[in-house]
Amino acid sequence: MTSDAEMIPDVKIAETSNAGTAMIRFENVTKYYGAYKALDDVTAEVGRGEVVVVCGPSGSGKSTLIRTVNRLEEIASGTLTFDGESVHGPLKAAALNRLRSRIGFVFQSFNLFPHLSALDNVILSPIKVNGAKREVAKARAMALLDRVGLSAKAGAYPAQLSGGQQQRVAIARALAMEPPAMLFDEPTSALDPEMVGEVLAVMRSLAADGMTMMCVTHEMGFAREVADRIWFMDAGRILETAPPDAFFSNPQHPRAKKFLSDLRH
Amino acid sequence: MHGFDLLAVLSNPDFARMLWRGALVTLVVAAGSWCLAMSLALVLLSLRLAPVRIGDRLVAAYVSYHRNVPTLVQLMLWYFGIASLLPDAVQYWLNDHGAETIYGILGLGLCQAAYFSEDLRSGLRAVPPGQAEAARALGHGFLGSLRYVLMPQAIRNALPALVNHSVSLFKNSSLTMAIGVSELTHAVKEVENLSFRTFETYLIATIAYLAVSLVIMGVGAVLQWRGQVMGAR
Repeated sequence: MTSDAEMIPDVKIAETSNAGTAMIRFENVTKYYGAYKALDDVTAEVGRGEVVVVCGPSGSGKSTLIRTVNRLEEIASGTLTFDGESVHGPLKAAALNRLRSRIGFVFQSFNLFPHLSALDNVILSPIKVNGAKREVAKARAMALLDRVGLSAKAGAYPAQLSGGQQQRVAIARALAMEPPAMLFDEPTSALDPEMVGEVLAVMRSLAADGMTMMCVTHEMGFAREVADRIWFMDAGRILETAPPDAFFSNPQHPRAKKFLSDLRH
Repeated sequence: MHGFDLLAVLSNPDFARMLWRGALVTLVVAAGSWCLAMSLALVLLSLRLAPVRIGDRLVAAYVSYHRNVPTLVQLMLWYFGIASLLPDAVQYWLNDHGAETIYGILGLGLCQAAYFSEDLRSGLRAVPPGQAEAARALGHGFLGSLRYVLMPQAIRNALPALVNHSVSLFKNSSLTMAIGVSELTHAVKEVENLSFRTFETYLIATIAYLAVSLVIMGVGAVLQWRGQVMGAR
């Protein structure tokens, strides 16, 4: 499938100073909701430029895991580093905000700001968080909207956009902060089936540009095609990590085998 | 007995001047207390949101006092009660600078702040939690999230309630006549005493109050309509 997104100039991927280390690293990460163990001693890493797809049954901890990366969820123990920086350490509020501003995050429910136009959604944080000049932020936002195929909708408010369009604006909004990595938390799960493709096309082109990505998704076609590695989760643990070919053709863990065979029915 | 004759009141220059002055004082009291109430409401709201428990408790107490004691009693408490506790020098200064109006604005403003802060708080609670998460994920701090993301939506949610309470505030400005503020209702009472045209003077007051209330509601409707054009969810 070709998309207009692929004809647009590359996204700038931020240079980082900690090039030797993994982009995202979980080390013995554990989290509870009350007595329920949501994450159970997770150790894994997302390398630079790597695309990881996290899959597994509902309630297996995928969303919780991805939300710990920018500390939308706290953890009980373990360490988590992003680009070499500890996310869950004793950070001052300002330092945590700075760190979060460098982690692109795309939500299942888009969460565009409904009182702002598409363009204003994209330029708000570069201006207010990063102190970018309005004209510079605007030019860059227009390039990003163009990249996701929505430059014609710059003036539209979220309520005037379809779900797929809103999610593409949300991706542009995250990219505007020039993050070294992008996290996607079930980005297509709230979409009508015919809009899934346009969002996946944007994600595919980002991956092709070398963006580091961690995606929680049920789109197994996308996983098979774009992922460098699959993490299979159940009951708060990563049970299997494998390249997509190996995972889909020959899963090792019995739970993964059952999951994939259930998908096929 | 004489027949109904509006002009008998309006064409009398003394009466017309008294009514006009009264109307101006009413507008000053209403506008002054509205501004005070709105600024204080924002302070109360931020105290409620602050992670300190005591702030929340204090604001809850403030709100329940102002919502559960008649506004007239609150005004009298200010004018007759609080005033007498002030040092003499302050009292003299206030008396030289329209003490009644100042106490009227204070009393009404403090009372209405309780309502405005609750309106804004429920408006804020109606903003989906994903909005705050998105703001945080983009690196906005607590205040930045409130200012650029949450409050604009909260105000839009709260608009109908804020408009209703603005109209009540405007109408409640007539209560300040009880502490001697020479606002419109006060002026009407005087004109009625002098002219014996009871029905005409109260009709004029009714029309004047109604007109301003309708203007406030009209402004509210325009603001709401603009919000909807932008595309409320």
